[in-house]
Amino acid sequence: MKYLVCVNKTPDTTAKISFKNDGKEFDDSGVQYIMNPYDEWYALVRALELKEANGGEVVLINVGGPENDTVIRKGLAIGGDKAVRINGSGDSFYVASQIANYAKDNNFDIIFAGKESIDYNGSEVPAMVAELLDLPFISYGIKLEMEGETATVTRDVEGGVEIAEVNTPFVISAAKGMAEQRIPNMRGIMMAKKKPLDVVEPTSVEARVEISSFELPPPKAEVKLVDPENMDELVRLLHEEAKVI
Amino acid sequence: MNSPQNYTNMSKAFSDLQLLEFLIFDTHRSEELFKEEYYEHLDKEQALAMIASAHALAERDMFPYYQEMDGNPAKYDGNGKVMTHPQLKVIVQNAAEQGWIGASASFEHGGMQIPESVNNAAQHIFQAANNGVQGYLGLSAGAARLITNFGTMEQVERYVKPIFEGQWQGTMALTEPQAGSSLADIKTSATPTDQDYYKIKGQKIFISAGQHEACDNFVHLTLARIEGAPAGVRGISLFIIPKYRVKDDGDLEYNDVFCAGEYEKMGQKGYATTHLVFGDDDNCRGYLVGEANKGLTYMFQLMNEARIGVGQTAASVALAAYKAALQYVQERSQGRHPSEKDPEKDPVLLIEHADVQRMLLTQKAIAEGALSLACECNKRYDLEHVLSGKEKDDNHLLLELLTPVVKAYASEEASRSASLAIQVLGGYGYTLDFPVQQHYRDIKIMAIYEGTTGIQSMDLLGRKVVINNGRALQLLTKEISKSIAQANEYDGLKPYAGQLEEALNGFIAISQHLFKYAQNNELERYLSDANVYMEMAGHMIVGWQWLKIGTTASQLIKDNKHNYTKGFLEGKIHTMKFYYKYELPKTKVCIEVLKEDSWLTDLRDYNWF
Repeated sequence: MKYLVCVNKTPDTTAKISFKNDGKEFDDSGVQYIMNPYDEWYALVRALELKEANGGEVVLINVGGPENDTVIRKGLAIGGDKAVRINGSGDSFYVASQIANYAKDNNFDIIFAGKESIDYNGSEVPAMVAELLDLPFISYGIKLEMEGETATVTRDVEGGVEIAEVNTPFVISAAKGMAEQRIPNMRGIMMAKKKPLDVVEPTSVEARVEISSFELPPPKAEVKLVDPENMDELVRLLHEEAKVI
Repeated sequence: MNSPQNYTNMSKAFSDLQLLEFLIFDTHRSEELFKEEYYEHLDKEQALAMIASAHALAERDMFPYYQEMDGNPAKYDGNGKVMTHPQLKVIVQNAAEQGWIGASASFEHGGMQIPESVNNAAQHIFQAANNGVQGYLGLSAGAARLITNFGTMEQVERYVKPIFEGQWQGTMALTEPQAGSSLADIKTSATPTDQDYYKIKGQKIFISAGQHEACDNFVHLTLARIEGAPAGVRGISLFIIPKYRVKDDGDLEYNDVFCAGEYEKMGQKGYATTHLVFGDDDNCRGYLVGEANKGLTYMFQLMNEARIGVGQTAASVALAAYKAALQYVQERSQGRHPSEKDPEKDPVLLIEHADVQRMLLTQKAIAEGALSLACECNKRYDLEHVLSGKEKDDNHLLLELLTPVVKAYASEEASRSASLAIQVLGGYGYTLDFPVQQHYRDIKIMAIYEGTTGIQSMDLLGRKVVINNGRALQLLTKEISKSIAQANEYDGLKPYAGQLEEALNGFIAISQHLFKYAQNNELERYLSDANVYMEMAGHMIVGWQWLKIGTTASQLIKDNKHNYTKGFLEGKIHTMKFYYKYELPKTKVCIEVLKEDSWLTDLRDYNWF
């Protein structure tokens, strides 16, 4: 089987977030980047597990500039066979269109992505890819088992789980539980440099979303300790200051 | 997989990848190594990826168990076994799978041939996350290195592969009950046989990782005396003594190495420290490594690396304690500024208090300064693989001089640094709820491991600064002068370059002053204040590191081609200034003490104590 794994680059979880250009642009000075953990820990690792069990090939795809190569190489170090970087950037529709355009000629059986990227949390790209390719889409999968060409996917739903079946080809977004983190070992890191990372020029796609501005969330209020004997004070604070009751 | 207990007050950070990149690649320019044939299979991006992998491993497997292993120490079962935390096996296996036990060994010996500059960045992360468990990995790597450097190819094939795979544990067995630090007095005996082995009899104490549950076999690199060997250090040989020896058919059989006990300690409680008895049933076989009677020379190669490693560990644990303190002061509000007279005003965060900032900056100055010195040593160690001729000899001499300094400065000052971390947390810092008290307890052994501070100090003054007619001292002076000249290119750094020059001149002058005792053959007097001399050297040499750091940060800010935050780089320059105000002047006090001719530590009348 052929697996395509969409990998995104996101700021490290400890990065200090700020904006420039009147709040329209993320300020990435001093920011360290990582592979989006949902892509890496769950989507990529499950694709690798399936390949290891049944054979096949795992191809990574990323849409972005050469600065993304470090993150892509990490995916190759973890076990991806080869990678493609579409040399462009844009909104979710732009990214999805580039991925779909590449995928349509390459006959992938399963297209994986993380359930969302941890920076913009849009959860949009895999659904758009599925739509653009006219493929079934299952979101937020926490378990994926294959039997021949049929996949059984477990999804978390309110109060329980939902189990769905789907035949290949399909698109799936992976959530926590799909697999366990794999840390690249030294040999993998050294081998990654020798694996193909093809750079493909993007097709012409108009972005459909324009950012008006970003705003930081309000700073966290200080913790106030209330004496357990003084419930009246707690009620007063919740009512007058927090205004939640 | 084991799940760690939930330590709610655990700090979130224990190391700093940006700091490592800055020290290794900007300050110490280790990228140069990748241009050399021995290391050309690597580049900076791969090295950083490896370091990031090590961090992910530490974050997942090691750090969450740091406090838990302290609360569940290694325990002797009374019958030869030491029970260790089940997570230890997971850690050893995963670290081996990642390649971290054989990382710096050559390809020929089954390693990954990566520079120590990179390998020790990973080890630093492990040390900061859970210093005891790094000891298991480090000892295995060290023992394997002794075998690859001095053993036969057959010994390499037999013992090194399972060590690198984490199946077998390597150890160093030196200390004996009657000898302590005095290796000249060891008594473990090796009787030749007509086979390829010696019969071993004796006891070793304080053997780290000598017995535990995470590995199937143990390879003890042991010092012993062959019957009839000369007395003293010239009659010591090095042996491989496995707990289970390998039979001709490949099966293992017990080699009469019995673990007689495990020491309960104040720190590093998850790190088994054992008492081993060899040959109680007259059936212990030892396999000679290299030539007879050269054991101590071989062991000292490993010992020197281990001394750098111990110094680095101290710096790493101090850095972890600093990170924990830094987190606390940004979450805990207490008190008000002295100028604030209104008691109704909300308390301010602890970090806003000047005295708290002083304590934090002291910790940062010590931990990062000592870590930089360890990076300097690691780079020089790597250069030994790529330099040749006089350049190689000079590099080696300078590394020899710096080794006792990084060991002694880092271990003594890291203790002070971790003590300040407790102080920052106040009463909570003293409780077991927070990790800083554990950091403090763990660090203490660093001033004792692999030669106490007293021994390091005598090594520095008695040997390193005088060997080859003071050549190492000249080389150090040259290197520091080079850094001073580079700093002088930045107006803002000139005052600090001047201060370091003054400290360097003072160091040279007082060295000359002390040499007169040696020339007059007053060796006891000469070495009596070696510890003070070490204190002075340590503060001056770490001052050199801070000037290098300050210069590097200034250059990066000027060139504006970097991906560090402004605060990160400015923080480096500010900490350098702090070091020069609060720490470097301590060299002057040391010089005053050393200048003073009276000798107060030669009491013959012990009633005065």
